[in-house]
Amino acid sequence: MSISAPRYAAAPVPLQGREGRVLALFTREVVARFGWGTGLVVGLSYASVVLIIVVSAEFSSIVGGPTVGSFYFPYASPIWPFLVLIGATAVGAGCISEDLGSRSITLFLSRPIHLTDYLGAKASAVAFWIGLMSIGPGLLGVALVGALGLAPLSVTLPAAAAYLASGLLTTLFFTALAVLLSSVTTRALYAGVGMFGITLSAEIAGSAVSGATGNSAVGYVSPIVDLQSSASAIFQTGATTLTVPAASAALLIGASVLFFLVAWLRLSRVEVVGE
Amino acid sequence: MIPAELPLFELQGVTKEFGVQPALSGLSARIRPGTIGLLGPNGAGKTTLIRLLMGLIPPSGGAVRVFGYDPSRNPLEVRERVGYMPEHDCLIPSMTGVGFVAFMGRLSGLPKETAIGRAHDVLQFVGIHEERYRKIGEYSVGMRQRVKLAQAIVHDPPLCFLDEPTAGLDPAGRAEMLHLLQVLSQLPHRSLVVSTHLLPDVEGLCDEILLLNAGRLLASGALAPLLAGHSAETVIRFKGDAERFTERLVAKGLLPRREGSTLRLTLPAEGERAVFEAAYESGTQVRSLGRSVGTVEELFLSLVNAPLQEAPP
Repeated sequence: MSISAPRYAAAPVPLQGREGRVLALFTREVVARFGWGTGLVVGLSYASVVLIIVVSAEFSSIVGGPTVGSFYFPYASPIWPFLVLIGATAVGAGCISEDLGSRSITLFLSRPIHLTDYLGAKASAVAFWIGLMSIGPGLLGVALVGALGLAPLSVTLPAAAAYLASGLLTTLFFTALAVLLSSVTTRALYAGVGMFGITLSAEIAGSAVSGATGNSAVGYVSPIVDLQSSASAIFQTGATTLTVPAASAALLIGASVLFFLVAWLRLSRVEVVGE
Repeated sequence: MIPAELPLFELQGVTKEFGVQPALSGLSARIRPGTIGLLGPNGAGKTTLIRLLMGLIPPSGGAVRVFGYDPSRNPLEVRERVGYMPEHDCLIPSMTGVGFVAFMGRLSGLPKETAIGRAHDVLQFVGIHEERYRKIGEYSVGMRQRVKLAQAIVHDPPLCFLDEPTAGLDPAGRAEMLHLLQVLSQLPHRSLVVSTHLLPDVEGLCDEILLLNAGRLLASGALAPLLAGHSAETVIRFKGDAERFTERLVAKGLLPRREGSTLRLTLPAEGERAVFEAAYESGTQVRSLGRSVGTVEELFLSLVNAPLQEAPP
């Protein structure tokens, strides 16, 4: 124990505003979520998607030149969305559940921040990592295609915008799903299993039921199908999809808003003092 | 800095209901800066009161002012000036002690460099030295408790709420924690509100108390007058023949209780004269005669077990 208590003889330090506190929470969360698992999934996403984009652009340039639609190729299979799901689980499952489990959330909310600040900072940090996996590889792939001279700027610029739009939709949905499931449990493992369980069971059940009954409307229950359908419209492929793209996009956005709202309601019941 | 004339907090007819269940009923008090003990049995409303004061819930009726702010309208302004040490475990096991305290400083609005500097200062103060670079998951219960105190004071708040600060500590750890709190309480412009079930802690630490029971304020104010005022007994310290002195007191209709070289008795009006007469007749020297000063525990039990009545003004 020291001899005397700390005394701050200097003038009081002016406190930072809410933005500074939210930034501190965001920064810590971004740093805390970086691990070998996250790095591996991010690396896999970049390697696989960039390779697919460059190879498909090379192939398209041989058979008549790539169009914006030919950049849809990474979305044609569910590999990329599944990689993003794995990454979202790695970075998002523990984002709130760990704070609930350690009860450090009670300390955070006793500080001069609002619940929306806390939730916003957590969601932004998770979105940062998911965006790195769902937007970054597409943009890097297009940049490489442009740099290699495989497609003109009139094609690569709209393609980059399309990757940005579809990547943002992917980021929004998986962030909301991670935040919701992480806010309802004190164990990151349960939240992670929930994210996989919901997404995979919706995908499998949706395709099985729609195949058996011929009812394509069942496809709406699968977020992967909805993402693929929305991306096909964004990339203007003109391909026939299981669902109406605009409806799929609206469903993803609506579900995301609902997920955030439920997470907010759940966390507003956390008793900061005396729980 | 908080102006000296400003009360720490002020309650005016504060009520709080959860559904139809009243948690607080008509609380009125004006608390000056200092070290305040918040006492009451389980379910008395202590937690609800702290939540109200921190702006975490609004009152159902009445007015609350903390440093002149209404916490339900200006919660952030209040919480910038408040530190909170919870009873329960709330630390992040994967963070180092210094990292955690600095992070909590940043969440309170301190710039990064200042937060790190102050984290080192307060950890040194609470007695976490080289261990501050170890992960909190490796800390003992006593060290964790001290880190909880450090994070509450890292931003140098003028008011700290301490919820059972000595809970779970062994006697040595408890003594160390009480010493830390005593040092803190003596700092200028620093007030502590200590909510605890360990009443001896309050006796050694607090200048004032707020005693709640069933959502009502049973007593509030400076501790010493409350302790003296609640006791009806008089204590006589004397030198001489105890047997004869007692006999003479009984002969005058008094019923003394002997405890070593002191006698305790309830004096009627004008009873002091009878005491001195008995002393004269028995050849006893009365060295002191005064109202008995009780303990916080006695005060607590006498007020809590008394039938509920209207709260004192």
